Amino acid sequence: MPPIINSDDCIKCNTCVEICSEDVFYGSKKGEVPHVAYPKECVHFNGCVSVCPVPGAIRLRIPLPMQLVYKEEETS
Amino acid sequence: MIEERIKADVLCIGGGIAGLMAAIRAAELGASVVVAEKGNVQYSGCGRMGNDHFETYIPKIHGADKDAWIEELLRTAKGEILIGKDLLRAQFMKAYDIVKLWDDWGIPMKYKGRWEFSGHSFPDHPMTHIKYEGRFQKKILTSQAKKRGVKIINRVMMLDLIRDNNKVIGAVGVHTREDRLLIFEAKSVVLGTGKCSRLYPPLTPGWLSNDPHGGSQSGDGRAMAYRAGAELQNLEMPQRHIGPKYFTRFGQGTWVGVVKDWYGKSAGTFVDKPDLRYGDMICEVNKLAPEQYTQAGKGPLYMDCTDMTDEDHEYMMHWMKNEGYPAMTEYMAAEGIDLRKHPIEFMTYPIRGGGLIVANEKAETSLKGLYAAGDESYGDISAAATFGYLGGENAAIYVQSIKQVAIEKNNPVIQKIQKLIDDIKGHENGPDWEETSVALQQTMSDYVGKVRNESLLLQGLQHFRRIRQKTRDTLMAKNPHEVARCLEVFNLLEIGELTFLMALNRKETRGLHNRPDYPFTDPRLNQAHIIRKSKNDNILDWKSY
Repeated sequence: MPPIINSDDCIKCNTCVEICSEDVFYGSKKGEVPHVAYPKECVHFNGCVSVCPVPGAIRLRIPLPMQLVYKEEETS
Repeated sequence: MIEERIKADVLCIGGGIAGLMAAIRAAELGASVVVAEKGNVQYSGCGRMGNDHFETYIPKIHGADKDAWIEELLRTAKGEILIGKDLLRAQFMKAYDIVKLWDDWGIPMKYKGRWEFSGHSFPDHPMTHIKYEGRFQKKILTSQAKKRGVKIINRVMMLDLIRDNNKVIGAVGVHTREDRLLIFEAKSVVLGTGKCSRLYPPLTPGWLSNDPHGGSQSGDGRAMAYRAGAELQNLEMPQRHIGPKYFTRFGQGTWVGVVKDWYGKSAGTFVDKPDLRYGDMICEVNKLAPEQYTQAGKGPLYMDCTDMTDEDHEYMMHWMKNEGYPAMTEYMAAEGIDLRKHPIEFMTYPIRGGGLIVANEKAETSLKGLYAAGDESYGDISAAATFGYLGGENAAIYVQSIKQVAIEKNNPVIQKIQKLIDDIKGHENGPDWEETSVALQQTMSDYVGKVRNESLLLQGLQHFRRIRQKTRDTLMAKNPHEVARCLEVFNLLEIGELTFLMALNRKETRGLHNRPDYPFTDPRLNQAHIIRKSKNDNILDWKSY
């Protein structure tokens, strides 16, 4: 649901905190690993993942109620 | 609360496509310009993660008959939009110039060196939308604005306009991270504040953020325009959209597939196999199709892209990344969902609020010095860019003959806002903004939703007003972030009540405004339905488009 930050890889640049339009990282401090204060307000647009300078340091978990519904491939 | 004063010739409220284009053009013409943005301009508004289609008339390609082309648009992408043809004409006198500007600024508007027309069109009919690579459009427009000296203030939620007699002289907002009030003394204001997207329940009950527009577009612009006395239009005309289930996203024109049922039978007659130039126009002509199929016991319906070559698949995925779908494309890759193998269920998204701030072809509203553009007046990416640009241009011309009026510290608008914020901060044991949102949305859905009749609307309005009063008396927040969310809810409550009043006054059935007590469409009402505030009363009126 919220962005998930890998604190080992995070370089604490706070770029994600600055760009998030919903401000889910509200209250995060510069020089610290961002804290997701309002996880339910995440709108899953991937802005934070797109701007993160370290690939893999932040990712989205798409919540269960938002999973795509699709038809399985027919195997005959 | 700390107060900060900012002076500008032109204040652009909202830094989406319209707001940034207004800022760029006004600054270019010599105005001092400030953009006040609730989030961060680089990732705000509907175009935050990109777009891939832009409607434009290109004389060399479409020929001289612009009106024939506009008629085609009214049959396709513009079918549901209740605006006059003058606005459409004004847009398409200018849209191609904007396309060329964007291309110069580094937003690739051509594909492999050519104008690539695709989507939102019927086979063998004129094509109306070019494909473009808009993935970094917000970043590029932000840098163009800064280059022209535009000052950008992020994290400020604008609350109210300030008037001197009949003209707008500024606005007041609140910082969303600090305890700070920002008072803007501005000779003119451009509202580019986006949609009103949280009026009705989201797809997932109680899950406020599962919305293709994102969470922060709460009708702030139309609420403040109304409170200042500007005209709003057609708030009672709801909208439905179509897209993938349950991962809500707009942009159905980017999907290259055929809408089919479980057994592989097409729902429409427009295409019989995926075609790069034409998506399935069933998504355009009947957005209710998935819901109707389900209700008729024939559901579900799928966007079926399986009959597609690898090359065509690569082409579609390229545009999905530009259309702002990276969250979905990355999720699909991680889950092993492959559109060449898996038909994706499409659904009719829930009812949403409609309407707009009345603005003419110069983006002027009914209030002097106030302009509106983008989804807050007449949206889609091309209209937002074009009317944003024109609004900025006309605002910059207007301010040349205007003197700045000082805003007194004890201005009643500022005092009222300060009291409202103090009250929110002082309340204990009341509802938070999310609880109030759920109450607001369920009342809208049940009483001014898919079916409306006089007694239902009257009862709904009574209940709505009680909820609104209780909210005013008890809503609480524990920090500036939550205060801003509460203030969004107040705007939604404002627009919600006006929606009830306008639905009561529209005594006919039209589009998705379904009044079984007035089951026929009244041709005499082929007009704009207007509401505006006059002292403490509302004036409802009809005007020709």
